[in-house]
This record gives sequence, structure tokens and C-alpha cells, in this order.
Amino acid sequence: MKVAQIREAELPGLGKKYLVELESGERLGIIIYDEGNRELFYFAPEEDEPTCSVALTDQEARQVGSIIGGAFYQPKLLEKLETAIADLHIEWLKVVPQAQVVGKTIGELGLRKNLGVTVIAVIEEVDKKKKCAAINPGPTFTFVPGQTVVVAGRRDSVARFEGMVTGEGR
Amino acid sequence: MADSITNLTVAFVVISAAVLVARKFRFSAIPLLVLLGILCGPYAPHGTWFDLRLVEPTESTALLGRLGVLLLLFYLGLEFSASRVVQGGVTLAKGGSIYVGLNFLRGVALGWLFFHSWPETLVVAGITTISSSAIVTKLLVDLKRTANPETELILGILVFEDAFIAVYLSILSGYLLAGQTSLLTGLLGGLITVTFISVLLLLGRRMGPYLDRWLNIRSGEPFIVVSFTLLLVMAYLAEKIHVTEAVGALLMGLVLAETSHARRLIQLVTPMRDLFGAVFFFTFGMGIDYRAFAPAVWLAMVAVAATVAGNLLAGWVTAWVCGYRGRAAVNVACTIMARGEFAVIVAGLAAGAGMAGILQPFAALYILLLALISPGLARRSRWIYETLVKPWETKREREKQAVAG
Repeated sequence: MKVAQIREAELPGLGKKYLVELESGERLGIIIYDEGNRELFYFAPEEDEPTCSVALTDQEARQVGSIIGGAFYQPKLLEKLETAIADLHIEWLKVVPQAQVVGKTIGELGLRKNLGVTVIAVIEEVDKKKKCAAINPGPTFTFVPGQTVVVAGRRDSVARFEGMVTGEGR
Repeated sequence: MADSITNLTVAFVVISAAVLVARKFRFSAIPLLVLLGILCGPYAPHGTWFDLRLVEPTESTALLGRLGVLLLLFYLGLEFSASRVVQGGVTLAKGGSIYVGLNFLRGVALGWLFFHSWPETLVVAGITTISSSAIVTKLLVDLKRTANPETELILGILVFEDAFIAVYLSILSGYLLAGQTSLLTGLLGGLITVTFISVLLLLGRRMGPYLDRWLNIRSGEPFIVVSFTLLLVMAYLAEKIHVTEAVGALLMGLVLAETSHARRLIQLVTPMRDLFGAVFFFTFGMGIDYRAFAPAVWLAMVAVAATVAGNLLAGWVTAWVCGYRGRAAVNVACTIMARGEFAVIVAGLAAGAGMAGILQPFAALYILLLALISPGLARRSRWIYETLVKPWETKREREKQAVAG
């Protein structure tokens, strides 16, 4: 994936300008005024005058920003979410059909003893709707493809478990 | 009417009306304040059944206006940072000096044409050279052009102009106060002022850390009171050694800009500047008799025509040199047009030095006309580009192709 080109410029007396070059050739101009307001400008490809613009207050800009950042709602495409607090790592991982863990129980794998990760919950998908299958499942719980496993542990342990679930670890 | 609170109240009612109307019609407030000063001051029209002389010029209005100038320049000094000019790099230095240089030469030529005497010439040059950062910046925001590529150049030129103001005002005030006997003694006076300033700035730089610690006052009240006192002390000292108090205020701003409290101070000073600055523009208008307009009208109209033409050319050349083409270049040329606070300050300085009385009505008419013209011009830059510049560009392109082919 290409990382967007962002150009930063100082606007003396006004604030700061960020110009984001998008893959499509369009550009997005973002002005952060010294008073805190934001203004967004849309530039069509090869155009130096903006086609349209929208102004936001500081509060609105923060809300919109967190929506775009995905803090309110996670797009379906991203099945993997991770949260890291200090050394504790929590991840949402989807079990793929060819994964090492498929058909095995938590007890067989000895996740806590061997890896140091704890399965907090497992979510299953029924009729395209997410449904919590088990909270804090016991050692007899069996992994099935399509499940989403919520695990907690140290960063490296979780990374190793991720390999076993996504089939990349082998 | 005695110097009472009544007079001040009436003055502020008129000022509020001007500011509100200006906001409503997206018009810059400065020319309107000057105009209302003329229409409600001691020279206002009056007859048997009506009298518009609402506000008396009293000691209190004069004092508030004087504080307005001090705060305007204090703010200019505070906001100015040398690092910004340096940051702009070579392009900005090139563009800024070309633009200011061309405009200044145009201003000097205009002044000489009008008055054939150096002091007046230098004042006219001051009035007509420097655009109003506030009006231009507001125009850019209103026209939604803040994200355009050429806006960086426009704002860069404004920063450069601010630097020019600081130097020019110091030289000019020294020159005018030196008695304006001849250009040489006048310039000597200017040089003395500049030396004073450089010494003070060097000292200020040295004193920066001490000031920083000394001003480290958490709570808002003592902080602003102490800063304001420093401003007054510097204005007083400057006056003592025959430098205008305005330059003293500017210097204090420049010195305090080096401390870590600059940002906080700007926030505290801005409302004061707006309040007293408005009184200053109003009192400036009160000092003008509209009956003296007749000779000033022609001067102002010639000056406006010359300014528009000169700015279009200078802006376009500057944009061209800095690598902007097409519409962007035309936008640069059409936007930096409005004159405002600095023109009024220079005209006020001339009045203080007891120069030709025609300069004030001239300045008032000049900024009023430009304030009427400039937003329309900036808004129509697209039309100007498409009818005037584009045909020429395409023709040049075709000629180039013909040569290549």
C-alpha cells in the first residue's frame, strides 16, 4: 500500500496547512487555524483552485477525526484490532481454515502454559451476525475456522499465537 | 460638552456601530471607523436643525487612541519573529524584497510627484507601500483560498512587509522628529533611531533569560499589568531620547517576543489592541475636516490608481519570479491590495510632527477607496486572468510551439 504524500506548510498569521496527495491524484488540503477551527479543501487533479470546502469547529474536527480514524466504528475489512496498554497486548484474531489451531482445544494447545496467552473470549459468526460464543472459554473449547479469538498476553506471546491462528506461523 | 463619561459612551456607541456594520457587510472596519470619526467628530456636518457633532475630541479619547497606537505596534513586535523570515528561505527573501522594493519605489515616485519635498514624500511612500495584513488575511479566509498554493507566497510577503514596517517606521519617525530641515540631517536622525533600536535589541536578547524568569507569573492579572507597565516605560524612555513612543512600543514587543511568554502575551494583548485600536482609528477620523477633502480627492484617486496598477505589476512579477504561473500569479497580484492600520499610523505620525494637513484626509480617502476596490478585485481575479492574462499566455505558448515546430 502506498503511503499518502503529506506536505506541511506554515501560514503565518493563519495557522498550518497540510496537503495530502491521494492515490487518485486528487488532493486534500487541511488548514488548522490558530483559533482552532479547521477547514478542508478538495482539489481536483491538476487543479490549483479548490472545488469545494468545509469548515469545522475544533470540537467537530476532533469528532470527525476520530470517525475517520476508526475509533467509533471499525470497517468490516479490518478483522484484526489491537490494543496495547503498557506491555499488555489484546488482539482480535480471526481463525483461518488452514490454521494450526483448527480442531484443537485450548487445553491440548496449552496456551497459557506454553505460550503465556489467555483467551478472553471467542466470537462466532452466525448468519453474518457476530455472536459471542464463549466468554473466558475453558480448556475443552475447540477452535473452528471463522471464529474470532480475543486474546491477552505479552506482545511477543500474542505475536506467536497470531501466527498459529492465521496460519502464517508455520 | 465636558470631558465626561457621556462623551466616551457616545464615542463607543458609534465605534460599536461601525464595527458591527463592518462585520455584517464583510467590510474591513478600519476605513469605516475613520469615516465615522469624520462624520461624528468636531468637523461633522451641522446645520440649524441637525447637528452630527456627537463626539468631542477630549483628553480621554485622545489618550485611548494613543494607547491604541502603542498596542497596535506592541502587537506587531510581539507577533513578529525573525525565525519566520529566515524559515521562508531564499524564495521568500527574493519575492518579498522584490515586491516591497517595487512598491516602495512607486510610493516614493508618487510622493515626489505630489509634494516635491522629502518629508511628505517619505510619508506618502509609507502610506502607500504597506498593505494591511489583517484585511488581506481576512480576505483570503473569506474567499476560501487559504489552501491554495499561492497563499503561502502572499502570507510570506505580508511577513516581509511587517519586517519592513519595523525598520521604516523607526527611520521615518527619527527623520520627522529631527526637525526635517534637510534630507541629510533627517536621515541622520533616522540613523540615530536605528542605532538606538539595534542596541536595545541586542540588550533585549541578552536580557531575554532574566526577563523570562522575572515574568514567570502564573496568574493572568499581575502578568498583563506588569507587561503593560513595561510597554509604557519603554514608550516613555523612547520619548525621552526623542524617538517616537510608537517605536518604543514596537521595540518592547520585539524584546518580549524573544521570551517564552510571547504566545500568552499575544492572547492577552489582542483584545486590548482591538478595543483601543478602534478608538485610535476613530480619533484619527475626528481630526479630519471633510471640507479639506477637495484637493485631497484628486491626490487620493491618482494614488489609488497608481497603487492598483503598481501592485498588480509588482505582485505578478514577484509571483513569476517565485515560480507561480497562470491564475496563481494573478491571485497574488490581486489580493495584496488593501491598506489599513499602517497607513493610518504613518499619517498620524505626520500629524504629530506638524506636517502638511492634507496628508490625513488623503490617507483617509485612500484607504477608504482601496477598501472598496480590493475585495472586488480579489474576487474577480479569475475573470482578470481569463480575459487579460490567458490570451497572452496562450499566444506565447503558440509562438513557442511555432519556433519549435
